[in-house]
Amino acid sequence: MAFRQANEIPFLIPIHFPKPAYNFEKNPLTSTKIALGRALFYDPILSRDNTISCASCHLQFTAFTHIDHALSHGIDDRIGTRNSPALMNLAWHKSFMWDGAVNHLDMQALAPINNALEMDEKIEHVVAKLQAKKPYPSLFYQAFGDSLITGEHTLKAISQFMLTLVSANARYDSVMRKETVFTEQEQKGYLLFQQYCNVCHTEPLFTHLAFENNGLPLDTNLNDFGRMNITQNANDSLKFKVPTLRNIEFSMPYMHDGRFKRLNDVLKHYTTNVQQSKTLSPHLQKKMVLSANEKVDLTAFLLTLTDRSFLFDKRFSYPK
Amino acid sequence: MKLPVIFLFLILISQNLSSFAQTSNKIQLNFQLLLGDSTLQLGENYYKTAQGDSFLIETFRFYISNIEFLKDGKTVWKDANMAHLIDAENPKSLSFWVEKPDSIAFSQVQFCLGIDSLTNVSGAMGGDLDPTKGMYWTWQSGYINLKLEGKSNLCTTKNNDFQFHLGGYQTPFNGLQKVSFFTSKEEKIDIKVNLLTFLQNIDFAKENHIMSPNQAAVLMAQQWAKAFDISDK
Repeated sequence: MAFRQANEIPFLIPIHFPKPAYNFEKNPLTSTKIALGRALFYDPILSRDNTISCASCHLQFTAFTHIDHALSHGIDDRIGTRNSPALMNLAWHKSFMWDGAVNHLDMQALAPINNALEMDEKIEHVVAKLQAKKPYPSLFYQAFGDSLITGEHTLKAISQFMLTLVSANARYDSVMRKETVFTEQEQKGYLLFQQYCNVCHTEPLFTHLAFENNGLPLDTNLNDFGRMNITQNANDSLKFKVPTLRNIEFSMPYMHDGRFKRLNDVLKHYTTNVQQSKTLSPHLQKKMVLSANEKVDLTAFLLTLTDRSFLFDKRFSYPK
Repeated sequence: MKLPVIFLFLILISQNLSSFAQTSNKIQLNFQLLLGDSTLQLGENYYKTAQGDSFLIETFRFYISNIEFLKDGKTVWKDANMAHLIDAENPKSLSFWVEKPDSIAFSQVQFCLGIDSLTNVSGAMGGDLDPTKGMYWTWQSGYINLKLEGKSNLCTTKNNDFQFHLGGYQTPFNGLQKVSFFTSKEEKIDIKVNLLTFLQNIDFAKENHIMSPNQAAVLMAQQWAKAFDISDK
């Protein structure tokens, strides 16, 4: 018999957002599961030597990414191979990681837990450690009706917390909800955005959730060919998942390898440095021309994607 | 006060028993893991072939899923369990029961070797599909359908090791295999899995390690299906 709970919480879809991809019927949100997931997200018990938590590389005030580091660092100060992605609006995603290696939000946490450069741990050992650490058995009992901890329940709880990380309350969203209007500069920037960027960084999620080669020259130290590593299809060479632009003001550095520190570097790339190659996105074949003023206008629009209510939401912070 | 409780308990038990006897029976699927003509033993004694090759198996685990019973080529019953993990290290896993209504007769059994694509993209699951079972890839989502690790003199690798983690659910590297056989058995079905049949078809000069979904894994999975001896004896 399924363990039904009275504390089921509906997942609220922002009015201008599409239908989520996550199947909530298989993992209905409850306050106790979300609370457990939050505890796990912030607990370094997930790592081999209990030093690294999810939050080590996904800090709330930077939209749950790792600022100041082009490549995120994990256990024993080991340097990873990619820039940790910002976490928000994950319920709408069908694939995860820069190369789409992970096919479901539930399975996402397994990757950093097991990666030797990140947490260097095994899920079966995490489960054993949780079983032995109070108050986890009782938290799992409250959440799932079973104090015997499993991988399934651990992963589903982490999913629940991550699903609650919805950012839909930026200035942009207020404009879309007709509560306010853009300034003249923001409006100009918005038109430029729609002309040049929206085809991949599609509203309202600001990503079309697919993979593109955006013309970055290959870093020959990393030799990261992105999506091709997963599909082994040469047509996917140098393609990476298009990241959201929401909260971009706070989620520097940019790109899969964090090579750009400033938004201006990013605009410079798209206007002057796009590398031609067989797999270059068809949307970047035509040169993007922006005057200095237009770059300022576009940046003004991008800053309207900052959602302070998300960055400082107490429900998402370290659990006290 | 205690008497009515016990009485109620007895009623419940008898009802359960009677309804069970009327409607369903259990079919036992029993897997015999073999290496040539001997029962497989993990980590012990190299098995020597007539050609002088030797094999030692250290890990041997695989998934059976989507068990179906057929009559005249049509599916008449499906196992309610999504998947069963068979692990040479765990004798209990070698045998399990499938519940089926008594009234349904069958002449053929079929199952998948591995986990199908729908299950692979359905998120976290429990039981034999729990990712703590060591049969899930973490760097790239997907179940490992077969984990076979051991040593052979045919391997020129360090310690003569070989490691095959076969999986893959996405085209063109979908490694799922189907096994189907006729049977006259109704209560206990013995299925022999002879690893030697599989090992002797591997070109160890070329293949020692497969750890990701690719073309070599798909080809090897097809060989793996041949290890199932399904003759009705």
